[in-house]
Amino acid sequence: MALLLRTVARQGLCSSRLQFAVLYRHAVPMGTTAKEEMNKFWTKNTRLNRPVSPHVSIYKWSVPMMMSISHRGTGVALSSGISAFALAALVLPESYPYYLDLIHSMSFGPQFLAFSKFALAFPVAYHTFNGIRHLIWDLGKGFRIPEVYRSGYIVIALTVVTSIGLAAM
Amino acid sequence: MAALVRISSVCHRGVSPLLFRSSSLIRPLAVQKKDRDCPYLISAKIHATPSNYAGSGSKAASLHWTGERILSIVLLGLAPVAYYYPGPAVDYTLAAALTLHGHWGLGQVLTDYVHGDFKIKMANAGLFLLSTVTFAGLCYFNYHDVGICKAVALLWSKRLD
Repeated sequence: MALLLRTVARQGLCSSRLQFAVLYRHAVPMGTTAKEEMNKFWTKNTRLNRPVSPHVSIYKWSVPMMMSISHRGTGVALSSGISAFALAALVLPESYPYYLDLIHSMSFGPQFLAFSKFALAFPVAYHTFNGIRHLIWDLGKGFRIPEVYRSGYIVIALTVVTSIGLAAM
Repeated sequence: MAALVRISSVCHRGVSPLLFRSSSLIRPLAVQKKDRDCPYLISAKIHATPSNYAGSGSKAASLHWTGERILSIVLLGLAPVAYYYPGPAVDYTLAAALTLHGHWGLGQVLTDYVHGDFKIKMANAGLFLLSTVTFAGLCYFNYHDVGICKAVALLWSKRLD
C-alpha cells in the first residue's frame, strides 16, 4: 500500500513538473551589468539607512583571511611610501645623499639601521611573495584548502627569511 | 477508499496539498516562482556576457585585468634587472611600473570600499592626481637626483658606525 502511494505520488509530482517542463533549461540574461546591480544595491540601502550586518567583527579569523588583508595592507603602505618619497623629492630643497647622511648621523641607536632595513624589506618581500601566490591562483592552480594553507605558510617563511637576509646585507 | 481518493488528489495537485491542512494555503508552484517580466515559469537569472545582448559589449574590464597581471610579472622581472644593471633606463622603467602597479592596485581598493556615483568619481580623481604627482616626483628624482637604483644602493650601503 505504501509502495503504491509512493509510486503514484512520484507520478503526481512528475506530472506537475511537466507543466513547467522548462525547469532551469532556460537561463535569462539580465539587462544590467554587475556594476549597475551593485550601484543599485548600495544607493537603495544607504538611502534606507539600513545597518550592515556584522561580518569581520564576528567571523573567526583564519590564516588565509589575514594574509589576504595583509597583502592589501602592505600594498597600500608601500604605495603610500612611494608617493610620499616622490612628493618629498619634489618639495625638499636638498639632495637625497644629504638627507640620508643627515638621518644616519642622528644615530638613534645601534640597531636602528638593521631594524630600518628589516622594516623596509619585510612589506616588500611579503607583498612580492604573496603576489606570486596570487598569480599562481590566476593560472587556476592551488585553490584546494590544504593547498591554500600550504602556499600561505611558504610565503610567510620566505618573507621572514628574505627580510632577515636583506636586513643583514 | 479514502486512501484512493487522497492518491488521486496527489496526482492532480502535487504533494503540497498533503502538507497543508487548509486548502487556502495551497498555491500552485508556478505563482510562487513566477517572475513578472519573465515568460518562463521557472528560470535562472544569470549575468550573461553582453556581447550578444543589449549591453555595453566592451572587453575593457577583462583587458584591464590581463594588463594588471602582465604588469605584475614585468615588475617581478625588473627586480633582478635593477640589481644587476642599475642605471637610468631601469630607473625610469621602475618609476613607470611602480606607479602604474600602485595606481591600479589602489583603484581596486577604491572599487571595493567606495560606493555612490559621486564619491567614486571623486575618489578616482584624487587617485589619478596622486599617481600623476608620484610619477612626476619619481621622474624628477631620476633626473635631478641619484635615481631609484642608486638611492636603494646608498641606503643599503649604510653601516653601523
